[in-house]
Amino acid sequence: MIEKKLVFTWRLMILAFILPLLLILAIDISISSGIQGFDSEMAFTRFANATLTAYTLCSLVLLGNLFFYGESRNRPLAPLVGMFCATILGILATIFFIDQGPMLLEDNGSVRAQAIYNIVHMLVSAGAVLVALGVSLGVTFSAITSQKQRSDFLFEEE
Amino acid sequence: MNIRPFDIGMDEMYQALLLFWIPVAVVPLGIWVFLSFANHKEKNIGKFLAFVGFTMVCLSPWTVPSSPSSAAGHLLGAIVGPIVLILIGLYLISFSGNVPVGRLPKSDRKLGVFMNLVGFIWLVGMHWWILTPQLSKGDVNPYWYVFWPTLLLFIASLSSFSAIALLTIGVDRKKEANSIFMLSGLSFLLLFLGLNVDGPLITAELFREHLWLSVADLAGLLVGSLLSILVFAIVIFVYERNLPPPQTISPPTKDELEKVADIVSNHLGGEQE
Repeated sequence: MIEKKLVFTWRLMILAFILPLLLILAIDISISSGIQGFDSEMAFTRFANATLTAYTLCSLVLLGNLFFYGESRNRPLAPLVGMFCATILGILATIFFIDQGPMLLEDNGSVRAQAIYNIVHMLVSAGAVLVALGVSLGVTFSAITSQKQRSDFLFEEE
Repeated sequence: MNIRPFDIGMDEMYQALLLFWIPVAVVPLGIWVFLSFANHKEKNIGKFLAFVGFTMVCLSPWTVPSSPSSAAGHLLGAIVGPIVLILIGLYLISFSGNVPVGRLPKSDRKLGVFMNLVGFIWLVGMHWWILTPQLSKGDVNPYWYVFWPTLLLFIASLSSFSAIALLTIGVDRKKEANSIFMLSGLSFLLLFLGLNVDGPLITAELFREHLWLSVADLAGLLVGSLLSILVFAIVIFVYERNLPPPQTISPPTKDELEKVADIVSNHLGGEQE
């Protein structure tokens, strides 16, 4: 019997990824006619802090990566300087925006305390993401290996 | 868990730098050394560095109690047990199945399932039972509110993604996709319960508030990382575009062409070998 098969599209994959969140939103909205417990100001502050911190930390990692990229090309300085500037820009932007006042300052008293809190917060979030990735990949792999061995080749009788 | 600090008579900032931030940095450094070098000695050094860094981060609530960041070390110590159980359990289940190399005995599968169950119940007990990570009695570790909703939401999303990927890319993988959908459904159920059922220390209202904050966090993480990758690509692109074109070499001379023709003709055929 020929089974009907879903066609791979990125739209479908993105929808599959955000489906649980959409379902929670839909249930929440239909039960309590609105998103309960959602504080747009706090959510924006968290989003902005996460964006700035992720940009800066990721740029730092990529700067290290660029150092090894240069190894095979007689270590040119230009891209290293470019990425270094981009990282510094991230750090300066973080300090500038946190310094503007309560917009990005959460429960912390100073720019330094907020910046350090942002880094630790990002490490915890990234840790949760990594664990989730490990669990999902592990379950996918174990689901595949748990099935009976099957042959992908059909030998025709000659 | 009640935390009684050590007093080592050092400035708080240096104490945090020495006993928390340097160990935090040493963990990825150790992993990098372990993965990058082929030599056994260097690999062992990498393993040792990562282990020492990890242990010091876990001990930071005792060694640097004045630093609020040490709560992350406390969380790490609290969750490492169930997470390791789940990951080792998944390894045992996966490699006791149909794998061409490194197959484990069938009995490991039961052990893997048991470890997974214990790890899972342990994590759930951290929300709805007495196992919640607490800095002092009744004072829930603030990073638990970040970790738990992010983990549940991301497991639900990623499992849904991989189940659909398996259905679209794989051939006849409906059974496997259903098992992965079950994981997604389980995470979703826990999220839903968290939004509606209070735990002894964590109310549904508090969980709800932190769930939306974790969505904002994940969105920020995605946007920030994509931005930095974009900047990285632009830096490489601009550098490569400004490189002078490679030098063109002069065409081969008549002698060189004849020599090449000789070599080619000597290697044509192959019937003599």
